[in-house]
Amino acid sequence: MDFDTDIRLAVYRHFASTGQAPLVAHVAAECACNDDDVRAGYARLRANRVLLLEPDGTTIRMAPPFSGVPTPHTVELGRRTYFANCAWDALGIPAALHQEAVVHSRCGQSGAPLRLAVGRSGPEASQWLFHCQVPAARWWADLVFT
Amino acid sequence: MLFFRSEELVDAWCRARDIARRPLVTMDQLWQLAVTWYATRLSPEARRPGPDEMRRIFARIGLDDPFWDPRADTF
Repeated sequence: MDFDTDIRLAVYRHFASTGQAPLVAHVAAECACNDDDVRAGYARLRANRVLLLEPDGTTIRMAPPFSGVPTPHTVELGRRTYFANCAWDALGIPAALHQEAVVHSRCGQSGAPLRLAVGRSGPEASQWLFHCQVPAARWWADLVFT
Repeated sequence: MLFFRSEELVDAWCRARDIARRPLVTMDQLWQLAVTWYATRLSPEARRPGPDEMRRIFARIGLDDPFWDPRADTF
C-alpha cells in the first residue's frame, strides 16, 4: 500500500471504531510517521476528493460518508452513533460498515422525524424520498452546502 | 441532500426557496448509490468513480437526467 492509502485507512478505521474524526497525532502513530507527514497526506487526499478539511488543514470535516461534526443525520449501529454528512451518506454508513443500522433524520420541509431501518441488503420499504438541489457537476464546489 | 416524506413536501420546499425541483430518488435507488459509493471505502482498493463511471451508475438505476451528469453544464 502507498502512504496515502495508509493514511486514508487510518482515518476511516478511526471513524468506524469511534464515530469521530481522529486527531493528527493518532493517524501519525498508526502510520508510523510524524504530524507533518499526515498533514501533507491530508492535503493530497483533499485534492483527490477523499477528505474535506477545515481551514486549518488538520481537522477533518468530512471523510464521506462520515462527518467530523454533528449533523441532523445520525446512524445508530450497535451501541455506536455516527453522524452522516447528508441523506445519501446516512445510507452510506451502513453500506460502508456492512452492518444493520437505523438511520434517523427529518423531512427537509415538515421536520417530521425519519426512522429508517437498514439491513445488510438495503432499507426497509419506505415512501420517503431523497432530493438533491445541487447538480452532480457542482457537488464538490461547495460540499458542505451540497 | 435531504430526505422528504412526500413529493408534495419536496415541491413546497422548492417553492419556498423559488428553486426548481430536481429529480426525485427513492430509498431503494439511494441505497444502490450508497453501496456503489461506499461499500469498499474501508478497504485498500477503494476509489471514487470517475465521471463516465458515475454517469453509467446513475443511468443503471434509472437516474439518466443530465442533472446526474458530472460533466453537464446545463444547470
